[in-house]
Amino acid sequence: MNDLLTVENLNVDFLSGLMRVEAVRNVSFTVAPSEILGIVGESGSGKSVSCRAVLGLLPGHARVNGRIIYDGKDLGAMSANELSLTRGRDISMIFQNPSSHLDPLMTIGDHVAEPLHYHFGLDKKNARIKALELLDVVKIQNPEQRYTAYPHELSGGMKQRVLIASALACQPRMLLADEPTTALDVTVQASILELLKSLNRDHGLSMIFVSHDLGVIAEICDRVVVMRGGEIVEQGSVNQVVGNPQHEYTRLLIGSQPGRLDSYNQPSHEGHALLEIEQLSVRFNDKGGLGTLLGGRSRAVNALDNININIRSGETFGIVGESGSGKSTIARAVVRLIEATSGAIVFQGKLVGDLKGLDLVEYRRQVQMIFQNPYDSLNPRASVRQTIAEPIWRHGLATQQDANERAIELMAMVELSENLANRRPRQLSGGQCQRVAIARALALSPRLLIADEVTSALDVTIQAQVLKLLARLKDSQDLTIIYISHDLAVVRKFCDRVAVLRHGKLIETGLTDKVFDQPANDYTRTLIDAAPELDSALLNAAAL
Amino acid sequence: MQQLAYIGRRLIQLIPVLIGISIISFLLVKLSPGDPIRLLLGPRATDDAVAAVRITYGLDEPLLKQYFIYLGNLLAGDLGRSLRYRIPVSDLIVQFLPRTLFLIAYVMSLTLPLTIGLAIVAARHQGRWLDQVIRIFSILGMTIPVFWLAVLMARYFGAELGWFPVSGWGSGFMSHLHHLFLPALSTSLWLIPLLVRNLRGALIEQMESDYVVASRAKGLPESYIFRRHILRNSLLPTLHLLGVMIAFLVGGSVIVEIVYAVPGLGALMVGSVIGRDFYVVQGLTLVYAIGTVLVTLTVDMLTAVIDPRTSA
Repeated sequence: MNDLLTVENLNVDFLSGLMRVEAVRNVSFTVAPSEILGIVGESGSGKSVSCRAVLGLLPGHARVNGRIIYDGKDLGAMSANELSLTRGRDISMIFQNPSSHLDPLMTIGDHVAEPLHYHFGLDKKNARIKALELLDVVKIQNPEQRYTAYPHELSGGMKQRVLIASALACQPRMLLADEPTTALDVTVQASILELLKSLNRDHGLSMIFVSHDLGVIAEICDRVVVMRGGEIVEQGSVNQVVGNPQHEYTRLLIGSQPGRLDSYNQPSHEGHALLEIEQLSVRFNDKGGLGTLLGGRSRAVNALDNININIRSGETFGIVGESGSGKSTIARAVVRLIEATSGAIVFQGKLVGDLKGLDLVEYRRQVQMIFQNPYDSLNPRASVRQTIAEPIWRHGLATQQDANERAIELMAMVELSENLANRRPRQLSGGQCQRVAIARALALSPRLLIADEVTSALDVTIQAQVLKLLARLKDSQDLTIIYISHDLAVVRKFCDRVAVLRHGKLIETGLTDKVFDQPANDYTRTLIDAAPELDSALLNAAAL
Repeated sequence: MQQLAYIGRRLIQLIPVLIGISIISFLLVKLSPGDPIRLLLGPRATDDAVAAVRITYGLDEPLLKQYFIYLGNLLAGDLGRSLRYRIPVSDLIVQFLPRTLFLIAYVMSLTLPLTIGLAIVAARHQGRWLDQVIRIFSILGMTIPVFWLAVLMARYFGAELGWFPVSGWGSGFMSHLHHLFLPALSTSLWLIPLLVRNLRGALIEQMESDYVVASRAKGLPESYIFRRHILRNSLLPTLHLLGVMIAFLVGGSVIVEIVYAVPGLGALMVGSVIGRDFYVVQGLTLVYAIGTVLVTLTVDMLTAVIDPRTSA
């Protein structure tokens, strides 16, 4: 068999201070023509580094060893000049965050035209004609009009299409895709995956598809490489690896996929109403001050439009939606980080908007929030124990001394070892930080816990642990949880009832199983179909 | 289209700023100690004579009415008469302004190429000896006061070596260049380090940005990536700093103009303040303020042209 790309014994280390830190060890894999190879792994597994090493895109302080053979040519032995002739022409690459990978000062047309100019020597006019064709191939509507648009005028999905068009401009035979859909909404992700699949099918484009999401990998890849801690743990066809994992870590990874988790939802729950959101609207006005007064455009955004939700005591209520749907705005309105423009929020019979002084403090004690990024929401200078104890004595519930002792109990409750008590956030992993944030929220014995994308920044194996912890705490602490997430698979397993939001409007609400199995609204169905899921992806692959 | 709308908006916003400037320059004379009429008529004028002149100048009117008269005169281009030179202030400014503008343009033509060159060299050799040398000279340049450097250079290159004249501004373009070389250079030497440090920082930040990696992945040559992507994105913050510095120079030229006896606005300003030439001071204040506003406006417009996001 003639492989298009062969990577043999790839080792990469980075100079960090005086130390050399190994990032990739003894990695070997091959990609056949027209094949899509998946590389799956969690953060720090070395999947991106391996990918960048192939194209020589690592920063100067990286040391790369090993053989990288593309179509008989040894990329590792090439001079910088020869390598830049190979890039874009033979192998190209697309990246995770399309916004930051496009020059904000260059039109999208020029982004696509510039490699044509450099590799093929096309003049401006011909490069433009070719670039327009490419924009059409990646399904940018009205390419003529969009040609002179700047990146900030496009949506995330559009930007990724532009990035793909500019990477494929010179018809490379291989594309390295480094988490190309991770920053995108699920429906957009589905369309980008479809585009990549069609490029593979129609043009025979080989691909290395790097992702942390096994569901996405199963959807698009033929074979998969599982990486962990800079090493390859296992590789083989997707069916074989998922169906019959040989390595313990692979089994853990597969078992942590949201679709394979135990279901925590208890749809029969009938508690009294704890929180009622009635006709809630939030408008953001762009207060331009003098500028608006003097002819500037004033913009008002309807972040939330007439939302009605009842949350019952003791249930887990999911709020799902894509970016900009207003799901976080609900949470912020409930804890009064922002004020409602109209409508009412009623907590245990009291109007939240009217609370003042001590009543407001008491309300905020009973309603606690956990945020997406655990590092950003913890004070970097405070130790774990101080972080957890602070709200207790600040609210006057105990003396500082007692609060410190209570903090240790709370650490045990969220399964944090006591000897982490004096660590600072940067000495902890993401999962540990999120546990600290949960313990801090529970320190005040709240009635209602609002979890805003709490597992989105975590690896799947850690996500599985945190979800399990939250489910256990919910029962033992008699909590009501509002779980906000873009991840439908997680919501399905975790929440009793669910509300679907889009552009600030409530699309559908109901029991989770019912909404997922028989969605009443087309948008809900689109959203569910678009969400990548390991088992359904495998079934689809088998059917083909 | 968007950019035109933005520039239009920006121009409308100027109106309140200009009104503010006119009020302040008007009050400046009203609030400063001393009576311009007494100064005009001399110490031996009788009270009756003073009162009579006061009426002819309209100074007995209520303050608000005086302001509107002043505003009307301004719009007609009348800034009053100099008490000292006995000619209209506007004529005086028209006579002195070109020299200062010439000096500023000279400073800029020395500063810009050197700044861009040095910043690029420093950024490309980040952390290596060439970068360190540039850094050390930058710190030196920032810490040495302009007036001291000016005096020193006038002594050495002017008096000792006799290469350059140490005063005046000559006649004819080449002679201007020759005369103003030392003043321009000593100002540049203070300006360049600030701008180099700013641009170097921006360049290094942009060199590490994601779109540079993406450009490399497309196989674009390094020199092109640097020129077309990195440099352009880095220039914006430095452009803003430059705007502030030029605005500062309009007033800041005073020191060099005095040291090198260049008959520019700065020299005129100092002379008028000392000679209590009220209306000249008032007129110059107005010119400085409008100069600053124009520079900021130009920078904003340039930014709008370079960066499509600002006008969105």
